[in-house]
Formats: sequence, C-alpha cells, structure tokens
Amino acid sequence: MTQLRAVDIAHRFGRRVVLRSVTLNCVAGECAVLYGANGSGKSTLLSLLATRLRIQQGHCHIDDLDIKIHGEAARKRTLFIGHHSHLYGHLSPLENLIFFRDIYQLDVGREELIEAIAKVGLAPFIHQPVRWFSAGMKKRLSLARILAGRPAVLLLDEPYSALDHEGVRWLNGVIDTFQKQGGLVVLASHDPERVAALNHTPWRLDGGVLQPVGETQ
Amino acid sequence: MLRAIYRLAWKDVMGDFRHRSTFSSMLFFSLAVLLVFQAAFEPDHQEAQRLVPGLLWSTVLFTTIMGLGRVFQSEEENGAFEGLLLAPLPRGALFFGKWLGNLVLSLLVMGMLVPLTLILFNVNIWSHVPMLMFLLFLGTMGLTALGVLLAAMTQTARSRETLLALLLLPLVAPLLIAGVQAMAEVIANGNLNGPWLNLLLIFDAIYLALAPWGFGWLVEE
Repeated sequence: MTQLRAVDIAHRFGRRVVLRSVTLNCVAGECAVLYGANGSGKSTLLSLLATRLRIQQGHCHIDDLDIKIHGEAARKRTLFIGHHSHLYGHLSPLENLIFFRDIYQLDVGREELIEAIAKVGLAPFIHQPVRWFSAGMKKRLSLARILAGRPAVLLLDEPYSALDHEGVRWLNGVIDTFQKQGGLVVLASHDPERVAALNHTPWRLDGGVLQPVGETQ
Repeated sequence: MLRAIYRLAWKDVMGDFRHRSTFSSMLFFSLAVLLVFQAAFEPDHQEAQRLVPGLLWSTVLFTTIMGLGRVFQSEEENGAFEGLLLAPLPRGALFFGKWLGNLVLSLLVMGMLVPLTLILFNVNIWSHVPMLMFLLFLGTMGLTALGVLLAAMTQTARSRETLLALLLLPLVAPLLIAGVQAMAEVIANGNLNGPWLNLLLIFDAIYLALAPWGFGWLVEE
C-alpha cells in the first residue's frame, strides 16, 4: 500500500524561508488538498515531493524510498502536473503521449494512449500540433498522462486552472477513480468549491507552516 | 533507457524537420561559408588540397555552433525542460538524448558538406571521402558532446550564442587540431591511422565521459 511520509521539511530560497518544519503523512486512497494564499509554499512543497527541488532539511519517503537518495526510483512512482503543461507544440497529442510514455519508460500500448486522449475529449484533434491548442485543451492533454501513466502518487498543482465546468467535473471523476484504485493524491488549490466534490483531507499552508484545516479553524 | 534516449532525439530531429529550422539554417550557412572561402582564396589544385582540412573543420565548427545555439530552444516552451527533469531517468540519459538529436542533425549537414567542398574547390580526392566522413563523424561527436553541455550551461543567458562560442572555442581547440591534422594526413597519404586519429579518439572519450556527468551536476537544483 503506497504511503507518503514527509517529515520536518523546511525550505528557503536565499534568505526567504518558504517552508518551516512541514510534516505530511498520506496513505493510498487518500487525497490531501493543500490550501493557501499565493506564495504560501504550496508549489514549493509539491516540487520537493516531486524531487524537482532538492530537500534542504527533513526527509521524505514514498513507501520505503527516501526520495532524497532514490530520486529516480521515486519519480518512477510519481506523476507531477504543475503550472506548465510540459507539452511540445510541434508534436500532436498522440506523439506527446508517446514521448511521455517512452521517457517515463511505461509499458503502455499505442491503443491505450489513443483511449486516454479520447477520454479527455481530444480525439478529434489527435493528429494536430499542440501549438494551436487553447490553454484548456493543453491542460486536458497534460492530465491525460494520469490515465496513461497510472502512477502510485499523483501531485497536482492548481489542476483546475484553465478548465471549464465540464473539465472540472471530469478531473474530479478521474481523481475519484484514481483514489478508489488505491492511488495517493496531493493537490494544491486555492479553490475549495472545485475541490468540494472530492473525498479529501484539507490542509492549510500559512507562513510556511502546514496544519490540518480542522486545527486552524 | 535506450528507448527514452531515442525518443528524446527523435523529438528534436522531428521538430527540426517540421519547423525547417536548425538543419536548413546549418546547411545554408555552411554553404555560404564555403562559397566565401572559395571566392576569397580561389586556390589552384595543389593549394586546394592543402586548404581543404582547415576549411572543412572551420565550416564544421561554425555550423555546429549555430546548431548548438538552438539545442534547448524547444525545451523552453510550456516548461518542457522541467518535464524532462521530472522523468525517472538518469540525468546522463537526458544528456545523451539531447546530444544524439543534435549529432544526427549535424551529421546530416556534414554528409552534404564533404561532397560540396570537393566540388566547390575542385579537389579530386573522392576515393578518400569515406575516411574524411569518418573523421568528421568522430570530430562532431566530441564537438557536440561538449557543445550540448555548454548550451545547457548558457541556455538562460541573454546573449547565449556569443557566450556558447566563447566557451566552446578554447575547449575544443585540441580536438579541432587533431581533426585537421588527421584529415591532412588522409588527403596527403591516404593514411587514416596515426597519432592524430588517436588523439581525436581520446578527446571524444574525454568529452563523452565528462559531459553527461557535468550535465547532471548542472541541472540539479
């Protein structure tokens, strides 16, 4: 059963302290939602969990893996979807997912990728360059990686941005299914309304300190 | 991992052909350089044979620098480089993927450069073409290995292409000297084996061993 344990995480950029002794424990099937104002450190915490930033203080384990030491193995179990879509404009949606599959070394067939594209509603655009896509379409395509990648841990930074109502409903459905299948989600958002439909554990980051929402209220 | 390296290189080569950007720029640039050299020197047959190694390698160097300046351009779009760093791959594999893509584009240009040079300078050494190609292949391997590392280093700089050339030129000088001398030996005696070829191989080995390691160190935050 997948487990994520971040203990006593602190991080600073130069002199600016962004996170102070953050501890977060999640288990499979759980969705931890991080609320907080802009600049409160939500994205930094997710970047640390995704190994995009090096942990300066504290430690984090995904199952028995210390992500500071076994970054590559930890990345194999994790999918981080942040503010950027990480898509290549000159490639089509299918080519982008094939690229994603190969650099993540996933054992997924072409048909499954096509199916993932159809599920995010981009089937009519499957061979068109992503460059001409709207922000919402790019977001949908980057989220199609969840379906194609089947990670154990899903890290989502403001996943609802650029999505319409239908897109939000679809994404909540995907996260819900993912949780039910034993996936672990850590999601950063400033929009409680959109997250409300999810079965989640709310946390608040304020002044670099992370607390369960119940304790802060 | 090999599949990931291949896919990374494929993405760069495919992107380049779709945009008709780096490859065509490199090709036309190298052609322009050769034409200028030809017009400036107007060498006779003997002189041309003597000049060809230097001219070819100078053109290769300028052309490669032009290609290297764009090697990380596609990664700037949509935070793609961050996406690569999030992949469960050793940093060295990312380096080799970017390197291979650049190497393929450079070699395609080199493949056209050799016959173009021989035609433009009217040098009849067609029997040596496979050996000349082999030397350019070896030289381009080392040149692009070091170049991709330096391109990664300078990608966020404002005048990155100038900075790239400034850093690359002194560091590849030994490799270029070895390449020119080995090629002169081939043209003069038809002899590929020799100390200059060994030196070329040694520099290739050094650059290809150190550049992935340097890249890994460079991209860690």
